[in-house]
Amino acid sequence: MSKLISRIGACLAVALLLAGCGGGGSGGGSAPPPAPTFTDPVLYSTAATASLPSAVEIAAVTKHQLVIKGTTLNYTATAGHLTAQALTSNAPEASFFYVAYTLDGANAATRPVTFFYNGGPGSSTVWLHLGSYGPKRLVTGDPATTAPTPFPLVDNMESLIDVSDLVFVDAVGTGLSEAIAPNVNQTFWSVDADAAVFRDFVIRYLAANNRAASPKFLFGESYGTTRSAVLANMLESAGVSINGVVLQSSILNYNVACGVISPVVSCAGSVPSYGAVGAWYNLDNPNPAPSALPAFIGQMRALTTDQYDPAVTAFLTMGAPPPPGLLTQLVNTTGLSLAGWQTHFNLDPGFYHANLIPGTLIGLYDARVSAPIGSPLAIEGDPSSTFINASFASAITTYLNAGLLYTNPSSYVLVSNAIRTWGFGHDGHALPDTIPDLAAALAQNPQLKVLSVNGYHDLVTPFFQTERDLARLGPMANVQLRFYLGGHMTYLDDGSRALAKADLAQFYQGTTAAP
Amino acid sequence: MRLHRPEDVSVPGGSAAGRSSRRKLTLAGAALALVMGGVPFVHAATAQSPPATIETTLRDPWVPPELRTPAPAPAPQGAALRAQVERKLKAGFDAADVNRSGTVTRDQARAAGLGYIVKHFDDIDRQRAGAVSFDDVKRFLRGRGAQLD
Repeated sequence: MSKLISRIGACLAVALLLAGCGGGGSGGGSAPPPAPTFTDPVLYSTAATASLPSAVEIAAVTKHQLVIKGTTLNYTATAGHLTAQALTSNAPEASFFYVAYTLDGANAATRPVTFFYNGGPGSSTVWLHLGSYGPKRLVTGDPATTAPTPFPLVDNMESLIDVSDLVFVDAVGTGLSEAIAPNVNQTFWSVDADAAVFRDFVIRYLAANNRAASPKFLFGESYGTTRSAVLANMLESAGVSINGVVLQSSILNYNVACGVISPVVSCAGSVPSYGAVGAWYNLDNPNPAPSALPAFIGQMRALTTDQYDPAVTAFLTMGAPPPPGLLTQLVNTTGLSLAGWQTHFNLDPGFYHANLIPGTLIGLYDARVSAPIGSPLAIEGDPSSTFINASFASAITTYLNAGLLYTNPSSYVLVSNAIRTWGFGHDGHALPDTIPDLAAALAQNPQLKVLSVNGYHDLVTPFFQTERDLARLGPMANVQLRFYLGGHMTYLDDGSRALAKADLAQFYQGTTAAP
Repeated sequence: MRLHRPEDVSVPGGSAAGRSSRRKLTLAGAALALVMGGVPFVHAATAQSPPATIETTLRDPWVPPELRTPAPAPAPQGAALRAQVERKLKAGFDAADVNRSGTVTRDQARAAGLGYIVKHFDDIDRQRAGAVSFDDVKRFLRGRGAQLD
């Protein structure tokens, strides 16, 4: 608690400092009147059948300061809409809502620009926007569930604004983004159409802001990594070279995602994550010390590859019973009971999170978050998600209104129903495998670099599955993987956000440096 | 704060990007209000949007039950993955080759949105034929380091 108070204190100091700086130049003595808030009067809808008759490209522009380690960063925030146009016909497709943060006085030829988007599909980009590397972030206290709510929004000392301009953009039919007639939102609710319209947004943003020469990065999370693989390939084909792709908590191949389509596919990709989660709750035997977690995870990878893989294949194809010695090892290294492993040898994350600790539900997004079964935090099925949702919802509206001076008569939709009617087909299969798209992007641009960011305690996009998916690309210097304490949104963890920020800065430097 | 059309944006690169001390003061007030719990400090002029909403608690990754049929295993890697990459690139090339000549001109590539061929056309078209074959494209990409067979 004292840590939290001191953080708010620091924030107030920064805010007052800003007020002091601002007042210094006015010379008048009396406080100037507040700037008017811009109201975009258009009503946006996330309904599947909704569309705008036409769209206007307007935005609210505000000036801000962020002080990181004594360095003052002056930046401009632009909140509004841009119209994506079809690649070859230039027909209007969709009006995208975005918030861009650009460093004042930077050289556009060398200053990177990064496009951020969450996943779902059907999620707005509120989570990355207000939780990760933007100039402001919400104080969630992850993985505890004791932080005051709604979370305060504070200056983000781990913002990437010192490294790159940041564009947070909402998918069509989420946030305040909507299709333009004759299209409807559903037109863009499929793997390929969604990536294509994102391509057209990126092209529009670059053109509208004279950023064609800037180093370009994509930063997608979850389904946003699926989108990034397809989008990177489409951008490269369109002649827009991407310097780097950051994959935050990946799902690159739905066909092997045990948590999505269990029990038909092997859940081996999740087994090392169970090891990390068992260790978090001190249930492994022997329980690895926190400092020994990476080494322990190395043992979990070996156990999975050497023993679990063949056993679960035999179990799934022939009904072969699991070897008793392996069951004992799994109990000792994951904390789940022998009965649990006996009845669910192809162990899916849904069973693990509901049965690891009797009477307790652990999170799927961040398995370090827990709540008693039947309690308000557990009632929606994932305490790590339930704990943060309301705060992100209230913060985005307040921040857009009072921080960015942008208002609109529509409700910003954090997560729409797009996922229910999404077209998941891709490359002739019912579910997308996007490794070939990433490989095609790399074939067209061998300079493209990929950074895969993973949380040890993320049960929805398990890191070992991501390692296996990316390994299909073969040994490549282009692809780096990083692992952090934390769940799906590793950036909510204060320690991991700082570590990842440093790794990201290094990645950007290595990716944009002249060869 | 001001309204603008994006064409009017003074891009980073200019030195005096419209700094206004008045603006900073206002924003500092707004930031202060947020920190203190969301009561708009600049309430005199701050309009309000309706509350944000969450339409579904389904979050990724999830797919409807009727779609939960995986593609045949194993997922392609090595030569099979390179072959799939080549098929993807070839499909784009063929879409641009509207008269099925086996080659694509600069204009055809542009019309099909194949900017990477347009951008590198002279490097791909080593014969100065005015049209490039898919083999020309592959040779160019391999020459740049692409993993293609």
